[in-house]
Amino acid sequence: MTELTSDQVRALAAAAGLPLDGPDLAEVTHRLNAFVEVLGGLAALDLTDAQPAPALPPDPPRTRG
Amino acid sequence: MTTDLAYRTAAELAGLIRARTVSPVDVLQAYLARIDRWDATLHAYVTVCRERALDEARAAEQALARRTPVGPLHGVPFAVKDQFDTAGVRTTSGSRLHADRVPAEDATVVARLRAAGGILLGKLNLTEFALGGTLTYPFGQPRNPWDQTRETGGSSSGSGIAAAAALAAATLGEDTGGSARSPASWCGAVGLRPTWGLVPRSGCVPVAWSMDVPGPITRSVEDAGLLLSIIAGPDGHDRWAQAAPGDPRADLERGAGGLSIGVVTHLVDSPDTDASVRAAVREAAETLRRLGARVEDVDLPLLPMAGAVFMALADGEAAAWHHRTLATRGSEYDPGTRRRLVTAALLPATLAHQAARARAAIRAQLEGALARFDVLLAPTGPTPAPPIASAQAPITSRAEAGRRFFNRRSYTTPASLAGVPALSLPCGFTTGGLPIGLQLIGRRLDEATLLRAARAYERATEWHARRPPLPD
Repeated sequence: MTELTSDQVRALAAAAGLPLDGPDLAEVTHRLNAFVEVLGGLAALDLTDAQPAPALPPDPPRTRG
Repeated sequence: MTTDLAYRTAAELAGLIRARTVSPVDVLQAYLARIDRWDATLHAYVTVCRERALDEARAAEQALARRTPVGPLHGVPFAVKDQFDTAGVRTTSGSRLHADRVPAEDATVVARLRAAGGILLGKLNLTEFALGGTLTYPFGQPRNPWDQTRETGGSSSGSGIAAAAALAAATLGEDTGGSARSPASWCGAVGLRPTWGLVPRSGCVPVAWSMDVPGPITRSVEDAGLLLSIIAGPDGHDRWAQAAPGDPRADLERGAGGLSIGVVTHLVDSPDTDASVRAAVREAAETLRRLGARVEDVDLPLLPMAGAVFMALADGEAAAWHHRTLATRGSEYDPGTRRRLVTAALLPATLAHQAARARAAIRAQLEGALARFDVLLAPTGPTPAPPIASAQAPITSRAEAGRRFFNRRSYTTPASLAGVPALSLPCGFTTGGLPIGLQLIGRRLDEATLLRAARAYERATEWHARRPPLPD
């Protein structure tokens, strides 16, 4: 993925209803780009059969209804 | 004398109190004296319940005089991370946003410790809302008892300090991605993350529901087992809490003979791992081998990705929980917390879903190894406690963000992602006198074997007996 710019990150934050400017904007941009870079690396793994469930007890309680 | 009493383990104190060798009031006074001497420097506590604890200690003394049957923690002063609700005592979660929040009921774990006879001594400092990266602590900068210019680890910062510096007999933390194990490692204590679901979270302010679990931070492995035996089991409120298979201390003194232990090479030999940490952990593995364990290296190549995968998932859960407050009262958060939550809120859903798949793959890899070994062994973290100033410097690049946030978390988060129990205990010191933590990872609901291995190592070494340089 391409690196996000500060303006793009500000626009994303506005869409999410979160104010973002000043030092927060610069740092969130670096943090978000770090996520995008590292998690983008997951594409190299074959995760097709990985069932994305969190770790759960063997007998989760049944929901009602 | 007062200091020696304060450094006794909770199990020892409980025995001495039951035998009426020491008074619960004297024990409490010993901790209050140390809090008065050191807490203004170390900032372990947000709130000290001085008068209430003294009343309870006097009542505990009277109960013994009347020969009333008493619980396993009778008269023992404990303290809990300020993330656990306490009836009538403010619960801040380390945040200005909750500075005046006073719950009406105790969290299940607090109620259970009190029902066992324990005396709530106070509420312990933490990173804001139990997320790491707090820049300015509203209740004081936590400081490492071994070197006050150093980090304590988080998020259960005060729990780590109070256990290591004998400011309480035992403490309770909460571990989402290493929040009990990291402060235990950097402060020189024992920190236990139980199996996810074994300890109810009712009354615990959440970080990430799929990984949160309360866990003890103590001065001995036995105390970790003692506290776990009290707090584990369903409470009728946390729908995921389940029964323990037995007393986690059942095999505590069986020794390491016959255990199989896998040394996680991708963490021990990682270029991120400091040489002093690597040497101490390898030596710990040799100690366990000499004690009769079968010790072999095991490769788990997905584990170095665990930190980023964990943060994508846990921070996303946290950002959802905080979203409304973040949108309306964002300026009241610490800047470090706010930036972390906003980042997670903006993460593309496809990447978060990939992270969820990666969690399953990491879990499968860890479970595969635990099918071959009773326990896995690794460093708790890549380095000893870093300077406080280094964690507060601004982040100026994508690469630095990755290094600072993902790499070190890859050591503790595999167990969190897999929902299995893990424990940190001291395994050495740097030449500068900072503690080094050994991490042991066990099978789901097999805390008994995890504690057995840890106790065997503890019994064979002296690291746990060292005290930080805090004169009376």
